[in-house]
Amino acid sequence: MPKKILFVEDDEGFYNIFSVPLKMKGYDVIHVSDGSLAVEKVITEKPDLILLDIVLPGTSGLDILKELREREDTKEVKVVMLTNFGSDDNISKAMEYGSNDYLMKYNIVPSELPAKIAGLLGEAQESVVRVTES
Amino acid sequence: MLVISLILFSKTRDLTKLKKYEEAFIEEQAKKHSEQNEFFPMVIHELRSPLSVISGAADLLIKTTGELSAEQIHTLLHQIKSSSSGLLKVVGDILDISKMEGGKFQISETYGDIRDVLREECGYFEPLAKIKNVTLSCPVSGKIPSFSFDSDRVKQVLNNLIANSIKFCPEKGKVVVNARKDARSVIVEVADDGVGIPDKDKPMIFHKFFQASNQAGVGEKGTGLGLAICKGIIEAHGGKIWMEDNKPSGVKFIFSLPIK
Repeated sequence: MPKKILFVEDDEGFYNIFSVPLKMKGYDVIHVSDGSLAVEKVITEKPDLILLDIVLPGTSGLDILKELREREDTKEVKVVMLTNFGSDDNISKAMEYGSNDYLMKYNIVPSELPAKIAGLLGEAQESVVRVTES
Repeated sequence: MLVISLILFSKTRDLTKLKKYEEAFIEEQAKKHSEQNEFFPMVIHELRSPLSVISGAADLLIKTTGELSAEQIHTLLHQIKSSSSGLLKVVGDILDISKMEGGKFQISETYGDIRDVLREECGYFEPLAKIKNVTLSCPVSGKIPSFSFDSDRVKQVLNNLIANSIKFCPEKGKVVVNARKDARSVIVEVADDGVGIPDKDKPMIFHKFFQASNQAGVGEKGTGLGLAICKGIIEAHGGKIWMEDNKPSGVKFIFSLPIK
């Protein structure tokens, strides 16, 4: 059974690019662009890991994280926060609310993403990327 | 004694006035500081977002050569193009708002028929409206004289208003773009029957960085500069822009352009 990743991200472009290496790795990637539907999706889909953007229209990834950690049926799910802001405030709040890790969106490339989350998925940390030799 | 009293009274009044100026100056500086605190994080976010996508797409194209299908490659290249355009727009918006605030924003007016501009913009948005199952109509008729206005900038205003209307319209919703002649102006309306704007947000709608509070689930946030820029463009023409409720639901954005 492939690992299931819930990708909560309103930026379609970012999702389109960064979901590619995850799908190439064989993960089942479910996209949620509306943050207000995220918790419900976690309950119904029971993902192995959630990639959760902090800045979402009308809501906040931090609020979603807080709610997940308060619910018996979702408190253990692995969550990696995504942010383009990199403010200490956002990061410390994310860790305080119980995020397992965080990634700066401007500081990672798609090919590195599988390796970044492999540990949380209980997999060996090898990258899906094979650099073509010239 | 009377002279001393008069002098003291005058000095007290001067001090009171000075105090008021001082308070107003501090308030203005605090407001500028607060706006800067909002401005820079917004700029960083809006520049980084498309750049992450462009860099990411390029990374995939470089490192996964031979593993991607032709369709995937096309999608990645299309994403680079789309994000680059988005980035150029963000930079353009930031430059526009900076010029407006610095009093250096200028328009370039040429004599033309605004009905052509409206029809062109409606034609441009027709495919997007179809995808969203929204009816977009432009029933421009009646006598509207040609007059001088900045065609590119008015298109920019219509771009923003029509895009927002379609964005906030439900499926099977309607967006209507119309124009009519007033005594000395042309009045343009962009009306939708979408979600509307909450009452508490209405006074702030043309303020820069402002985003209506009911945007959950309707797509990406954006810079929050669009309507502030629209206001700057219309006011540079000597016109006005305002918003009304569209009964029974939705909003109507209306702007006037003086006939020159």
